[in-house]
Amino acid sequence: MEKTIVARTGNEAMAEAMRQINPDVCAAYPITPATEIMQIFSSFVNDGLVKTNLITVESEHSAISACMGSAASGARTMTATSSQGLALMHEILYIASALRLPIVLAEVNRALSGPINIHCDHSDTMGERDAGWIQIYAENSQEAYDLLINAVRIAEHRDVSLPIMVSTDGFIISHEMERLEMYPDSEIQKFIGEYKPNYNLLNIDNPITVGSLVLTDYYLEHKRVQHEAMKNAMKVIPEIFAEFKKVFGRQYDFVENYKCDDADYILICLGSTAGTSKVAVEELRQEGIKAGLLKIRVFRPFPAEEIVKYISKAKAIAILDRSESLSTQAGPVATEVKAALYDAGKIIPMQSYVYGLGGREIYVDQIKDVYRKLKNTKISEQVKYLGVKE
Amino acid sequence: MTKKPDIKTWKDLNVGGIIESGTSEHFKTGDWRVKVPVWQSQNCIQCMTCWAFCPDNAIKVTDEGKRGNYDYNFCKGCGICAEECPVSKKVINEIKKAAPNANITSWDAETNQTFKEKASILMVSIKDAKEKYNIK
Ligand code: SF4
Ligand code: SF4
Repeated sequence: MEKTIVARTGNEAMAEAMRQINPDVCAAYPITPATEIMQIFSSFVNDGLVKTNLITVESEHSAISACMGSAASGARTMTATSSQGLALMHEILYIASALRLPIVLAEVNRALSGPINIHCDHSDTMGERDAGWIQIYAENSQEAYDLLINAVRIAEHRDVSLPIMVSTDGFIISHEMERLEMYPDSEIQKFIGEYKPNYNLLNIDNPITVGSLVLTDYYLEHKRVQHEAMKNAMKVIPEIFAEFKKVFGRQYDFVENYKCDDADYILICLGSTAGTSKVAVEELRQEGIKAGLLKIRVFRPFPAEEIVKYISKAKAIAILDRSESLSTQAGPVATEVKAALYDAGKIIPMQSYVYGLGGREIYVDQIKDVYRKLKNTKISEQVKYLGVKE
Repeated sequence: MTKKPDIKTWKDLNVGGIIESGTSEHFKTGDWRVKVPVWQSQNCIQCMTCWAFCPDNAIKVTDEGKRGNYDYNFCKGCGICAEECPVSKKVINEIKKAAPNANITSWDAETNQTFKEKASILMVSIKDAKEKYNIK
């Protein structure tokens, strides 16, 4: 297949994916801290490059509500947001997943206030990790582009039917220009196919009630169904990724295993820090330290078994969380990896870190230092702050 | 031997929890009221404003397309119909013109005789509804 090589920022890459997906409806309220994804996409709408009905609303709460109405009416629906915008959607995110509406959200990870900050960290999406949405974290523009295309298929799969957010790191990816391989519009359309909704609120021949009141008698059962849909996503995601590889040639998985197989020391992180860590791994290996990196790409559903598979032979593990749960314990990634190891009956020395909040830079040397400390110093059960001024 | 009761399990639920339409008909909500609207058809100009504004579906339309009576099984007594009724509004304005200091609202059915006579929608207490207007 013919691929076009272009230079695009992360925002542009996601907007291009949206153009090629050509959703029926986008509802958005892209005020700061949203990025320019919607602004770029709105110019595609203006130029007639898509047939999307772009609905501009008065808040992010309304944006996701409009998306829900649209998806419930059988339209392929997308939106984009960041940070406070996602937080303002919070209430409705849970309803969208309960109604099993396959909305696709292009997210750019930016810190939540306060203090006021618009730079990269994962506190926005981590705040929504229990909202019943599938969550995929992209390392770079190419992943953001590819995964957004995969996201449509995953979300709309009959056994899944769940909303999905694909995120990239604010500024680091969203505003940086990178090399992007784009596929032809027609191939994307062929890959995503036609959207066949589960139900249609506007079908007057078959009137239905959407969002009815469920009290103590069946609420538990409804959640059990969502649990099952997430479990189904565990099965469906690799199938869609495999199909994507067949057509477009790029391999994706729940996690990316970068030299973990023979590694003594493994670092786990999400997003763009994985790119930085790969350089650290290479340099350490030249010094004779067997370093490995495990990047978690799909965080919801949480690929516990996959993760354990790659890290269980390590001598020690470091986990980098780009968000704080302020529980005095580790951040969400470390906590869940620990739980996965416990279930697998494994105890591996593990150092958890909080790093990069509010866009604080992370350098190769710092990551190398993390590996060296795994090797040379005693592991602390306390979570450590990486790069904090003290 | 007791037969297992025929209960829907989580596996039997429709995707997204959707159900058939019109189920609110089985769930009477009129007893939430603390005030009751009373329609005075002789004063009504058939503008249908009340019908358009009722947030429930508690104002019936007759087969001839006219304003029908209330469906008290579903009316929540919010009073929006009375607030929006142009006839009631006109009466309030008339009263205020005659007595500029009169503090009158569409909830004043029992305290203002003019309003009671001329308004198209009165809001009354549950007790008055039962005793004076024969609404149960
Ligand atoms: S009181 Fe409220 S609910 Fe009842 S009929 Fe009037 S507008 Fe409808
Ligand atoms: S009751 Fe009032 S608002 Fe309703 S139709 Fe009659 S005049 Fe119009």
